[in-house]
Amino acid sequence: MSAQKRTSSTLELKGVSRHFGSVKALDGLDLTLVPGEMVALLGPSGCGKTTALRIVAGLETATYGDLFINGVRYNDTPVNERDMGMVFQSYSLFPNMTVAENIDYGLRVRKIDKNKRMKRINQMLDLVDLGPKSTSYPHQLSGGQQQRVALARALAIEPNVLLLDEPLSALDAQVRVQIREEIRRIQLDLGITTLFVTHDQEEAMAISDRVGVMRSGKLEQIDTPIDIYNNPATPFVASFVGMANRLPAEISGAGNVKVLEQKIPLSPLSGNLEKTKSAIALVRPEAIALTDEQDPLATRAIVAVKSFQGPITKLGVVIEGYPLIHIDLSSKEARKLDVGQKIAFKITADELMVENV
Amino acid sequence: MNKKLSKISLFILVGVLLLAIFILPLLAATIFSFKGMGGKGYSFINYQWLIEQDGFWPAISTTLRLAILAAILNLSLMVPTMVFLHLKGQKWKPLVDAICILPLIIPVVSLAIGAQVAMPGILQNTEYELVFFYVVIGLPFTYRALDTSLSSVPLKTLVEASRSLGSNWLNTIIRVITPSIRSGITAALFLSFALSLGEYTITSLLHWETFPTWTVVAAQQNILGAIAISVFTFAAAIILMTLIGLSTHKGSGREIVEEEHNYGMAE
Repeated sequence: MSAQKRTSSTLELKGVSRHFGSVKALDGLDLTLVPGEMVALLGPSGCGKTTALRIVAGLETATYGDLFINGVRYNDTPVNERDMGMVFQSYSLFPNMTVAENIDYGLRVRKIDKNKRMKRINQMLDLVDLGPKSTSYPHQLSGGQQQRVALARALAIEPNVLLLDEPLSALDAQVRVQIREEIRRIQLDLGITTLFVTHDQEEAMAISDRVGVMRSGKLEQIDTPIDIYNNPATPFVASFVGMANRLPAEISGAGNVKVLEQKIPLSPLSGNLEKTKSAIALVRPEAIALTDEQDPLATRAIVAVKSFQGPITKLGVVIEGYPLIHIDLSSKEARKLDVGQKIAFKITADELMVENV
Repeated sequence: MNKKLSKISLFILVGVLLLAIFILPLLAATIFSFKGMGGKGYSFINYQWLIEQDGFWPAISTTLRLAILAAILNLSLMVPTMVFLHLKGQKWKPLVDAICILPLIIPVVSLAIGAQVAMPGILQNTEYELVFFYVVIGLPFTYRALDTSLSSVPLKTLVEASRSLGSNWLNTIIRVITPSIRSGITAALFLSFALSLGEYTITSLLHWETFPTWTVVAAQQNILGAIAISVFTFAAAIILMTLIGLSTHKGSGREIVEEEHNYGMAE
């Protein structure tokens, strides 16, 4: 039985800006979430992602632009009338209330009949698997449990949209993965439209339908996690999402870029580059492969770091005059390599993203 | 070993000091206050004298009345102010902090005379004018008690959570803010009440009779009676404060909350 009876909502932001004095925290954000979709806003701190979320929640007002939910303009609706389920970074549970009372809070405010409330609370406790903890107080719970209660509390009111404000950032690495999978499971289960704000790209990629990468109050690119990673629209996205080696590059005339003496086609998405300025090419660690020692075009380097990570092994290799270059190899391939050993490699990328520095 | 030894000697030192400067004098005074007529035998005669003195009960009732009013007024002024400062008015905090500390800096004499002149006529003629002075001298203490308590909870997030769950401001204040700063409110209540109970200078300067001012006059008539007065005051203060402490603590008890809504696991 689904705990969510209401059909999912559409969330639309149109040209939303937020200015703090002369600072544009958010600069004309256009974003549409289709019903049941989970979108992550990803970006470094200060990129405006949290401001966007807070505007949707009604905790911040937009300087310009409009917010629509199911086509209805919500700009002037007060926070407490918006029906948004919000999960905060941490410590947002009411300390003087038990788990059940925390979940009950929003239901009580809505003056729902007691039997219905009890039923809903138990439903929510089951959903986040915390039934036995219903009479515990927040301080008696672990960080992960607290966030699950916060999620249950937010969902209990059958919100229009679920808003997640970096809900995992205060948790341990292991718990973080576990909870994020639980959030995704519940989100898919209920089919609730969800806006998720995070600075952790792995987190964003792992559980969202689409990822929006933000910089300086603007959306740089919004796409599926696969496209964000494989087809970044700008050099910023390429370097922010996933790991990328930043290697000095030279732009040659015929749409090629010369990196480590290798000529590779220049990605047309690199934007306008000034040939006179120095440039940096972004090379993913997995876009580098070992080659035959005899290959005259190969680049030679010395292994400086080797870190085994299960199926893959990360290498750090040194070449005089370059920063440490990261290479991802299958662990099978890396087995025969040792620190201090000489290797030969080639860049295997079809084209490279380049930016001026 | 050595650590343990020094810990024990510290205990002994503190114990001896406590005994010498606190417990012994108090004990001596208590015993002395029970001396009978002419210093012979033991009886309640000094306490009987105290209770029979003119103005004893009126003085106590006035003091309690004024102290209760002062504590209520102080908290109803300071709790909303402090909550506002912590939520939205961070930049005003230093200013309010400075204003609240003024009563400690301005000599009470100038405060009393100066402020009384400015007081509206209706108030000048009643003992209730004292309530306002008691509130003012309590400000530095209630400010600090509430500030500490408010700083220890993530108030902004709690309020935002409450609001996003659909709660209006009034409900948020009653069900979220007040319970989270209960310890601070209790402490502020304590301080304000205790301060008003013992206030002498202003009361005396403005010629009102409360228990402290009445005591001074009464004590001049009877040496043993004077000691009975101080023992009585001390005991009354301890009992009163314990009662307040107990009653405010009960309110935050878990049992009550659990009884009120007993969410079973019934399916």
